Amino acid sequence: MIAAVDTVDSSIALDCQGVVKNFRRGRGLKKRITRAVDEATLQIPRGELFGLLGPNGAGKTTLVRCIATLLIPDAGRISVLGHDAFRDSLWCRRRIGLLTSGERTLYWKLSARANLNFFAALYGLSGKARDKRVDYLIELMGLKEAEKERLERYSSGMKQKVSVARAILHDPDLILLDEPSLGLDPQFARFIRGFIKEELNRRQGKTILLTTHYMDEADELCDRIAFINKGRIVDIKSPGEYKRDIPHTEVLEVRVQGQPETAKVQALPGVERFSAEFKDGVTTIKLVLPRAEMVLSDVIELLRGQARILGIDVKQPTLEDVFLYVTGTSLGADTSEDKAEVQ
Amino acid sequence: MTFAATIGVIRAEMAKTIRIYLSYPIIVVFWAVFPMLWVFPFVFQGKALVGGMSSPAFEQLTGSGNYMAFVLIGAMVSNFVFSGLWGVGNSLREETYWGTMEYIIASPTSPLVILVGKTLAEAAVTTCIVCLQAVVISILPFGISFTLAKVLPVLLIVGLLMLGFYGFTIAFAGFTLLIKEAHGWIHTLEWVFFLFSPIRYPVQVNAITQVVSTLIPLTWALVAIRGIILLNRNEVSLGRTVFILLVMDAILLVAGWLIFSWLERKTRRDGTVGMH
Repeated sequence: MIAAVDTVDSSIALDCQGVVKNFRRGRGLKKRITRAVDEATLQIPRGELFGLLGPNGAGKTTLVRCIATLLIPDAGRISVLGHDAFRDSLWCRRRIGLLTSGERTLYWKLSARANLNFFAALYGLSGKARDKRVDYLIELMGLKEAEKERLERYSSGMKQKVSVARAILHDPDLILLDEPSLGLDPQFARFIRGFIKEELNRRQGKTILLTTHYMDEADELCDRIAFINKGRIVDIKSPGEYKRDIPHTEVLEVRVQGQPETAKVQALPGVERFSAEFKDGVTTIKLVLPRAEMVLSDVIELLRGQARILGIDVKQPTLEDVFLYVTGTSLGADTSEDKAEVQ
Repeated sequence: MTFAATIGVIRAEMAKTIRIYLSYPIIVVFWAVFPMLWVFPFVFQGKALVGGMSSPAFEQLTGSGNYMAFVLIGAMVSNFVFSGLWGVGNSLREETYWGTMEYIIASPTSPLVILVGKTLAEAAVTTCIVCLQAVVISILPFGISFTLAKVLPVLLIVGLLMLGFYGFTIAFAGFTLLIKEAHGWIHTLEWVFFLFSPIRYPVQVNAITQVVSTLIPLTWALVAIRGIILLNRNEVSLGRTVFILLVMDAILLVAGWLIFSWLERKTRRDGTVGMH
């Protein structure tokens, strides 16, 4: 008699198959159902640092929350190390570390040590094992001197260090980092990025799913990146592969004062992708096309009559430009209202 | 999660709740002073209404003319109920507001275990305050004395009252996860308890309050506790109250657990766990 074969594939840390999450808003006739995650499928092998890159409102956080079992998907399947995240939710929660964006995710009236002690208890750590782990993490994050101070006296960066320590407190196999450097000053952001790459991924071999809308962060840290736009995973590749996809392409970036009419610029021959973002009184127009000089004089002509041109650059495509090329949406855009309406 | 780990979570939650509680100095000062002063508004109100501390009309309704004792016992016992509403019923709203709720829900610990920890912390703090209040009113001349023979059955009644009531507050805590609002509901519930249970007056004064009050465990507990302390009521009626409270406890605990579990799952499905 042949013994039953255990089909659990533990070489895959995270497996999402056709995950769908809809949100209902309003009531009665005003009821609207929008699709925040639309049949998302991805697989992350153990030890990979995987990025989920997309603009605000693309569905990154919703997908992370589904994986963390905070949300129950409407369809699809999520497995963590071969275990179904919802049938085996307690098993999976023990193996997932979570860091969500925002400062207010800790007890500000408690010290770093008291916070970590409390969350350690939630994962079954107690006594000397807990003390040893908390000591190690406080040392690792450089919080020794301030460990007994209440968090309300900490800077944003220090609070984020405590949040990172909490995410890895129970030594999880899969770490979900949702916008880990959002709102941090450059020095702390650099520390957090270095810690994720060098300590967690390279030294400890953790599998990491990182969401970000910072192109540099994804480019610098991730082995592979999934582009997500309007709830759909558009493509999955390494940063290098993405850039190689558009080798004979240039990006023409024009910055002008005010908000000029750009429809004619967009319609110029040869323009493959277009975006215009208005911020702080300045519109940044980006054109992705084979050769910038094909349209340069036309662009200047079309814009000069309407607004003051502040600068023109011709660049090789970055990951951000590749995102624009692949999805037609700029990473700086807010797409939270652009989701597909299901009903 | 093992039994020892569950006990560890309850201990950690109690320590956290009490530590946060003590981090607000004004609350500590208030609760240190309040038990010494809390009787005076009732004394002054009693003097203004009936000219002293007892009333013949009141005796006709309750069997005891000691209006002050009636009100003071009502205030002490209702303290447990109202602090439970705020401390347990509102606690998950606080976690949501602090941004920590998602981390509790994402952990392998059931939020119900967290609520047990919050309940025990709340019960410990309220017990200390009520004990101080009891000491104060037993020193002052209100005709209330606490002998061991009276205190033990009173503790039994209070324990049974709170057991069922915490079942109710656990369901209420789940409800606040869904509605994202607690203060208005707690104020409404306080008002319902004040109106329909004999906290400040005997419910016999009105036919509607008399009928509705029988559905509220607080009514049965207050009648029994006053009977024990003021009227030296016999054991037979105490047994009846214990039985009624036990039935209510069973219903409220099971219903509280089921309702909370259903509401928690619903908020996970709706995607509103961390919203506030």
